[in-house]
Amino acid sequence: MLAKIFEALYLKVFVNIIVKRASTVVYIELYSKKGSVDNINAEFETIEVNEKLLEFITSYTRESPYYYIAVLDYSSLQGALPTCSKNKLPYYYDLSDCEYKCYDDKWAYYTSKSELYEIEKTYKAVGVDFIFSPFVVLAKFFKDKIGGHLALYALVQDSFVSIAVFENSKLLYAEHLDMNTSNEVDDILLTHDMEEEALDLEMDDGIDLENIDVEDSGDAIEDLSDIEDLDAIEEIEDFDDAKDVEEELLESDDVLDEADEGSFNEDYQRFSLIQTSIAHFYKDEKYESAFLENMYIADAVGVSSDLKKYLEEEMFFNVYIRHIEIDAEVCELTKEELGL
Amino acid sequence: MKYSYIKPRKKTPFTADVQLIVTFFSITIIMLISTYAFLLFKDYSFAKERANLMQSRIELEKNIEDMDQKIAYIKEQKALSEKVFTQNMVLKDSIANLFDLVPERITLSRADLLQNGLILYGVTPNKDVYNFMLQAPLRSIFQKTYTSFYPADGGWLHFVSTNYVNEDEGEELNSEN
Repeated sequence: MLAKIFEALYLKVFVNIIVKRASTVVYIELYSKKGSVDNINAEFETIEVNEKLLEFITSYTRESPYYYIAVLDYSSLQGALPTCSKNKLPYYYDLSDCEYKCYDDKWAYYTSKSELYEIEKTYKAVGVDFIFSPFVVLAKFFKDKIGGHLALYALVQDSFVSIAVFENSKLLYAEHLDMNTSNEVDDILLTHDMEEEALDLEMDDGIDLENIDVEDSGDAIEDLSDIEDLDAIEEIEDFDDAKDVEEELLESDDVLDEADEGSFNEDYQRFSLIQTSIAHFYKDEKYESAFLENMYIADAVGVSSDLKKYLEEEMFFNVYIRHIEIDAEVCELTKEELGL
Repeated sequence: MKYSYIKPRKKTPFTADVQLIVTFFSITIIMLISTYAFLLFKDYSFAKERANLMQSRIELEKNIEDMDQKIAYIKEQKALSEKVFTQNMVLKDSIANLFDLVPERITLSRADLLQNGLILYGVTPNKDVYNFMLQAPLRSIFQKTYTSFYPADGGWLHFVSTNYVNEDEGEELNSEN
């Protein structure tokens, strides 16, 4: 009772930490009983807790004892599984060294225990109250879509791509793709795909996507310089084609302008990872395979039109991009956790 | 904990700073209360001591009164003793004077000293010796003198002389003493 009175007197401070490739975004929201009072966003050129970052966070957390630090899980050993049954989980993945949670008792998301400890250790100076999975962010962000027909959903972060296939709120497949280790993974997967090239995976509509994907991605990796040239041409030629009239489609001029060589490489890398992962989804018999036509992208980094273009042209997806303020979404999850 | 992998830490308004402030104020309040309690105790102690001293004072005053009474009594006793001593001295002198009055030819056998008189028993060779040598000085002292004679062996006479002074004079004499 006394605690609730004190809680009502103080502001709540939500500190949401998003770790990017070489920087850390800290989104702070001050929340009173009436609602959000103020929010502050800052980016620090570090992925550790340096003095500047610590000082920034503590300058707000010291204002109220009711502060909550939330971190978006950035471990590479995480994912989601299409079941929540304890008996069925090992069929998909060995979770002996993982922490997992069920989402609406329909599917589960997991992460490595050691990576969780590592996150807690990294943020020991400020403490961590919540660690959220990007798959939860993705599911929450597209909650209006995942209840519908089959589609591929992707959360694109600076160095991660979290993809999930949902059909009527049921998860069919999910994978967390780490761009930092993608080259090695790509090499392995490509070798694996090359060996299984002879396999023809017959789809319902008769399109052999696997062979197309593998060949395309293989060429792209082997002759990346040609792709870069192609991109330079396509940026001019296919610019109008990319402007589909769709409500969620995000194609701002700013994004297109920023599509320089670096972002192209990154987007191609993302495309490549998605392509490989989808190939895995189609091939692996463990997963309930279905032909994907639509793809929804939650864009947290401002991807260029190249990614959309490649996904549409190479994988024949109808791609819808929706910009996501991932830090604000994490903040909303924190509030939901606290029942606000 | 619906979506998070970990549980949030328990939040309390009693942060380190608040705990420090609360501790500081608690110590201050405890010290003030202790001081107040000490002063209350000392006040009670002083009040009790004062009551004891008042009681002692009353007892001492009572003792002083008793002692004053005793001193007064002793003074009275002393005065009385001095008076008795003086009276005894006067009486001794009177008796000495009385025996000085008795001539050698008259022999006293008994003398009774009264409050306001003197009764003498004795033997005299004759009345004249008695009348001239003893009765005359007795008359000068006592206002009333009565003498009776009766014969004794060898022609001598026994006499009983009863002498009184007046009441008023006797009192004056006493007061003078």
